[in-house]
Amino acid sequence: MNHFFTQIRKEVKRTPLDYLLLLTSGVFFLVFLQIFKGERRESMLVLAVFACFYIAWGIIHHVHDRTLHVKNMVEYIVIAASVLLLLLMMFI
Amino acid sequence: MIKTVKHALHYLFIPSEKNNYRAKLIQHDLLSIYLCIILLFTVAIRQGNHLGRAGQILGVATDITTDKLLLYTNEERTKSNLAPLSLNEKLSIAAEKKAENMFTENYWAHFAPDGKTPWDFINQANYHYEFAGENLAKNFLFSKNVVDAWMNSPTHRENLLRPEFSEVGYAVRTGVLNGEETTLVVQMFGKPAVGEAIAQQPMQPQVAQQPVQAQEAGKVLSEVKRYPNTPVIPAFSIVYMFLGVLVMVFAIDFYVATRLKVIRLHGNSLAHMMFLLLIGVGVVFFLTKGAIL
Repeated sequence: MNHFFTQIRKEVKRTPLDYLLLLTSGVFFLVFLQIFKGERRESMLVLAVFACFYIAWGIIHHVHDRTLHVKNMVEYIVIAASVLLLLLMMFI
Repeated sequence: MIKTVKHALHYLFIPSEKNNYRAKLIQHDLLSIYLCIILLFTVAIRQGNHLGRAGQILGVATDITTDKLLLYTNEERTKSNLAPLSLNEKLSIAAEKKAENMFTENYWAHFAPDGKTPWDFINQANYHYEFAGENLAKNFLFSKNVVDAWMNSPTHRENLLRPEFSEVGYAVRTGVLNGEETTLVVQMFGKPAVGEAIAQQPMQPQVAQQPVQAQEAGKVLSEVKRYPNTPVIPAFSIVYMFLGVLVMVFAIDFYVATRLKVIRLHGNSLAHMMFLLLIGVGVVFFLTKGAIL
């Protein structure tokens, strides 16, 4: 377990700004969900924006890392789309 | 047999040479299959919605019931040393009429756009009162969260814990409001008038004071649909199971890959974990939050 957290720390230290940006966007995502509580359409819109941001974040992160590849992009798109569709299916 | 299962699990969950150092469950092909399955389910659910069977398919509507609302309301009153409220049929009819009116007139407010007040509905239900009040909630999924939200708002709390009230009526209705499926909860409080004379001109009823939201002109009137109140647990279990399994596999992948120090051309497992965990917290918001008025 120690190794796990050490590696997380190492990874975050490698590109701290990227992770800070991701975490900040996550906090905004939750804040907006709180603001639009009870408004499903707006909540879904917030979720969609967050999912799109995540895809953009992934691309920028891999550009910085010089590891950008179509496979990487597809992975971010598929994960974001899966989550978005899953929640759409459940709540709308 | 055990060896085969062990190998299969290893192949699915642990990055190794056999799966090109990426757990099979999070490789592109399987991730794409998940997406296709979810897409198919979404289409099926949408079709179910058109046929009015959404609640039957996944049970996503709500688990809010009158019994639970009354139970939790009375629990709060008992905690404050107040007499429990009894369910009144006429108040429940008034609440039903109010909910129906909100759907047909397409508004979310204590006062209807045509000026109808909460106590108009109570009077129409032939309930003669000395005191009356109304609490509203929408898009909650659990009864407990509705009562908790009311208790956290001073004006709604005041209604809930008003010693004068002795009776209550509820309506839990699902329909289309402002173009989206909405679950409305109407709670109407009352203290019956002692004599007919008092009933004619009641005292000012108490409604949780919030500004009335005017509706945009020209909007199509909503239709009122009734969906069965089915348990919501299975639907959310699916979401949590999916998110949980993915987070776990990405965590294992991150751990093993960093241990093995392999260089791979894949997405960032740590970022995927963070994203999925944030979504998980977001789902909790969906589950517990709604709007009150």
